Amino acid sequence: MKSQSMSSLKIDNLQLSQQGKLLLSLNEEVKGGEVLTIMGPSGSGKSTLLNWLVGMLPNDFYANGELYLNQQIITNTASHLRNIGLLYQDPLLFPHLTVEGNIAFAMPKGDKQTRKDEISEALNQVGLAGMEKRCPQNLSGGQQARVALLRVLLSKPKAILLDEPFSKLDSQLRQETRQLVFEQIQRYSLPAVMVTHDESDAIAAQGKVITLDALSLNKAAS
Amino acid sequence: MQVNSYFSLYLNKYWRQLVISLCLLSVFSLSSNSFANQVNSTAESTSRVWKNVEMRGTKQNVYFHAWGGDQQINNYIQWVAEQVKEKYQINLHHVKLTDTSEAVSRVLAEKAADNHRNGQVDLVWINGANFASMAKYQLLAADWAGELPNFQLTNPTNNPAMTRDFGVPTQGMEAPWGQAALTFYFDSLKVNDVPETLSDLLIWSEKHPGHFTYPKPPDFLGMSFLKYALLVLSESQPSSIQDQLYQPVTAESEAALLPALWQFLDQLHPTLWRQGKHFVSNGLALRRLMSDTELQVSFTFSAAEIPSAISRYDLPDSTRSYRMKDGSLSNIHFVAIPYNSPHIEGAKLVANFLLSPEAQARKQKTAIWGDSSVLDLSQLTPTQKALFDVNEKQHLSANIINIDNTRLLSELHPSWVKVITEQWLTRYGVQ
Amino acid sequence: MIVANTLFTRLVRNSPYLLIALLVVPVLGGLLGVLLPAFGWFPALGANEFGLFGFIQLFNTPGIERMVMLSFGTSLISTLLAFVITVLILASYFNSPWLKRIQRLLGPILVIPHAAAAIAIGFLITPSGFLSRLVSPWLSGWDVPPDWLFPHDPYGLSIILGLTLKELPFLLLIALGVLAQPEIGKTLKAQHKVASSLGYCPMTGFFKVILPSLYGYMRLPILAVLAYSSASVEIPLILGSNTPPTLAVAIMQWFSDVDLSLRIKASSGAILQILITLSLLGSWCLLELLVKKCSASFLVNGEREYGGMLIQRVTHLITTVMLSVIGLALVAMVLWSFAGFWSFPDLLPQQLVTLHWSSALLQMQTPLFNTLVIAISTTLIAIALTLFVLEAEQQNTKTISAISGFIIYLPLLIPSIAFLFGLVWLFEQVNSQHAYINVVFSHLLFVLPYVFLSLANSYRRLDPRFSTVAASLGVPPSKIFWQLKLPLLLSPILIASALGLAISFSQYLPTLLSGAGRINTITTEAVTLANGASRRTSAVYALMQMLLPALFFILAWAAPKLFFRNRG
Repeated sequence: MKSQSMSSLKIDNLQLSQQGKLLLSLNEEVKGGEVLTIMGPSGSGKSTLLNWLVGMLPNDFYANGELYLNQQIITNTASHLRNIGLLYQDPLLFPHLTVEGNIAFAMPKGDKQTRKDEISEALNQVGLAGMEKRCPQNLSGGQQARVALLRVLLSKPKAILLDEPFSKLDSQLRQETRQLVFEQIQRYSLPAVMVTHDESDAIAAQGKVITLDALSLNKAAS
Repeated sequence: MQVNSYFSLYLNKYWRQLVISLCLLSVFSLSSNSFANQVNSTAESTSRVWKNVEMRGTKQNVYFHAWGGDQQINNYIQWVAEQVKEKYQINLHHVKLTDTSEAVSRVLAEKAADNHRNGQVDLVWINGANFASMAKYQLLAADWAGELPNFQLTNPTNNPAMTRDFGVPTQGMEAPWGQAALTFYFDSLKVNDVPETLSDLLIWSEKHPGHFTYPKPPDFLGMSFLKYALLVLSESQPSSIQDQLYQPVTAESEAALLPALWQFLDQLHPTLWRQGKHFVSNGLALRRLMSDTELQVSFTFSAAEIPSAISRYDLPDSTRSYRMKDGSLSNIHFVAIPYNSPHIEGAKLVANFLLSPEAQARKQKTAIWGDSSVLDLSQLTPTQKALFDVNEKQHLSANIINIDNTRLLSELHPSWVKVITEQWLTRYGVQ
Repeated sequence: MIVANTLFTRLVRNSPYLLIALLVVPVLGGLLGVLLPAFGWFPALGANEFGLFGFIQLFNTPGIERMVMLSFGTSLISTLLAFVITVLILASYFNSPWLKRIQRLLGPILVIPHAAAAIAIGFLITPSGFLSRLVSPWLSGWDVPPDWLFPHDPYGLSIILGLTLKELPFLLLIALGVLAQPEIGKTLKAQHKVASSLGYCPMTGFFKVILPSLYGYMRLPILAVLAYSSASVEIPLILGSNTPPTLAVAIMQWFSDVDLSLRIKASSGAILQILITLSLLGSWCLLELLVKKCSASFLVNGEREYGGMLIQRVTHLITTVMLSVIGLALVAMVLWSFAGFWSFPDLLPQQLVTLHWSSALLQMQTPLFNTLVIAISTTLIAIALTLFVLEAEQQNTKTISAISGFIIYLPLLIPSIAFLFGLVWLFEQVNSQHAYINVVFSHLLFVLPYVFLSLANSYRRLDPRFSTVAASLGVPPSKIFWQLKLPLLLSPILIASALGLAISFSQYLPTLLSGAGRINTITTEAVTLANGASRRTSAVYALMQMLLPALFFILAWAAPKLFFRNRG
């Protein structure tokens, strides 16, 4: 919160191509607390873009351009050192750890008790008080989604990527969870990039919306 | 005694086998006395009995269980199969064993399962301890060897070796097949001070440590080396004690004879390959180690394998073979028919063919197998004798040095094998 | 699911009972066949009194405690090593193209029978072997081979080396097989990504996130490997010490000893072997508990990096050494199979000849025919039975019970040396004279579990909506099975068949014992010759043992491609 003015994720002149074919080009900056929404049909390069952002671009793709996080260039930084959190449509909680374990796993090292208190407080805030010792498999879909969110947030990322984060939830739950996620993004003032194909997600995000269209781009490229 | 105790055992527990046991009992009590008579029985009755065998044995399937580790021998048995097919329409199947005891356990398992008529083994290549074991548990058909017309060609009346297997009377349970003597070999390019006596061997091994070893007992060849050593070492003893080596072992004979052997081995072992801390598990491994040039002097029971191994590049061309001057352990190997063979007549026909001058002469050829014949040449017709003439071109290693001036040492009584093995394992088996 | 009562469905419904019976009866019967003699009951030897003299004789054997320690130590250490290296390789090359390459290099090792692997390793590491020739005499100064006690060392190091090299590919391929399953593999990979995005270095991420889940799927195979190696005969026989040997080797020697009364001691030894195997399995489970307890806080302490680079370098080194050992062993074996005379310090034979191949191929026809007939009949039965049982699962809409699942593993968990001798006795009891049938029957014990394990996943994963749709169109269950499921599963069925064939090809003790020695296969010939005098002939047979399963795996891999290409 203190570095509010500094916080930003900048995609500088990105050109993603596959086997010589240009897939997409992008030039954007997302400030802390803002959500950049990427929309488009499947095959338009949404997931390729996400893969590039986390540094896991498959070998058959080629990228040109730079990625800045808080004014630092991280284009060639290893995925696990980028400090970019990732939230998928599936909560992907680790089945061998409890709720508390899943979150503790994500948190930076530190005093055991402090970490514990922090987890309880965070659970409390999202309406999951007292669920520390539960197994993730026994939670409802919405609860799992919230634990996954806490796991990302408490890992203290400097930016966050949302990959269709709400698409597996029914509409009531979807609205609640969405609200919670965007609140937390603002609270922690994180630059966020969200990939979705749901208009209502885009509207709720209240940020800039970019629509990728594979066909038109390909045309433009040729 | 033994037969009686077995009989009573059967009587108690297996009353339904009473009849079979009675038959066995009568056979055993008669055989020791009547065997010689049977051998000399009139030609007339022999030929009548044999005609019957020939009639019933034709077209049978005969399963011949024989050690299959040597390609030359396997090829020879293949040839035998072709011959008996032609002569008697017998289908001879060679069941290749890694160890003859496999056949022994099979017959034993069959007996345990009350399978007394339909055994899987019809003929087995056997001698020594395996034979003693099968005889002890009454696993062999008895009193048939004398029926074989060709058995007379071994001149059994004047050649007691043909009816004794490691000192144990065969009682017609086995027909002789061939004989072998312990032969040593070395690489003439690497060794120029060949040890020609047991005491030389110790001195040589001390001078060239790590280049000699023998297989771990109870392996047959390893056991043979120990027997050779024991026989040579006990020569200083009075002959009454020496003779005990050919009788069942007793506590006294053990105490009188074995210490010399252990004393010798205690001296020899530190000079052996791997400092005597590891022994190869069979005789063939010796030849492999010779081929790897890890060993420089070694020994075998089948001298003919040496030139054939050279021709297959398994031994260097400079290999030569010789016999120890202080004696060469020699034994006869036999074929036997299990008591529960369903094709006993076919098996007899095969055993008889194995004793024919034609088969024996072929077997003796170095290029075929090189196993010495058991026939007495004086019993043969000139045409038959001619079959044994050697006019093949031989590798130098086939000329065994000292072959004419070495005496042959007879096998010990088989009961020594167990004693020597047990004590050896206690002394050297755990390093 | 409501299923019509037809011949097919009845057949399918009863198939699990047949499967269980085929596995349980021989194993338990075989165990009974050693249990009775172990306690002194062996009428054919005149032993009719129950008693403990077999055990007394056993414990009076010189060096018995060393035999037990050797069996226990070599199997535990080799399994542990194989597991640790497997995990290191997975952790270091997770998400790297090298994982696929290593898998491709190690895959063929899996189908190499133990005997052939031991022969190959022996060619490499004996004092006159390929490794010492590589450095002689220019570096080592050896003109004659050094007189070292390795292999055959008393500590079992050479056994551990052999077992580890043989077990490692199995565990690695099991792990990769798990990761290749869409639902598990995808989830695990995604979770690894999550860990990575949370700042975990890939290595730590693997240990903290993937391993705990992955281990659950590897557990039974690991236990099977442990049980197998505690009682395996080929590798300790060829590479191990014999003063004294491992217990399993000693048991085998006692069983085939000339002195028939040793059979009672051998049976008691078989019982001791079972106890050793059980205590090994128990020790492993204890070890698991211990690791689980100790690692609980390690998993969530938030530490992201534990010298990953160092571990990675060590793993690179281990992998390189291992692959070169395997590669060199194969080169040495091929050279021996063509070698003329080849004296010690020479790196290459004096001349190369095809004599060994041509003479071996001439003599190989009958064994080759036997090998194929037995393997094909065994595999056909195993595949058919497995498919029926899996179909029965779907008709009952539940997987087979935990007990049945465990029984399928039974022949893999109980040391075969303990029940095979009893099985021969059992065959005698039913007076079965048909050697072929007996051999197929005993091969089935080892082929069935692997075929089942290999097919079960693909079959259970088949989308149930296919059959639902077909059924709604009025297609009977038998037609769904034959014309829908089997074609869809062609590829996994072929792979499972190749695996079944490979397992059958490699069987030594079962072929020898239940075939009454009448049936020679490539493997029985290879082991006979391995103990024989010619490295050259045994190299030819060992290579044959490798080529045969490889050929069928290639066929299984290529056939569906050709098939589908033809269909357009």
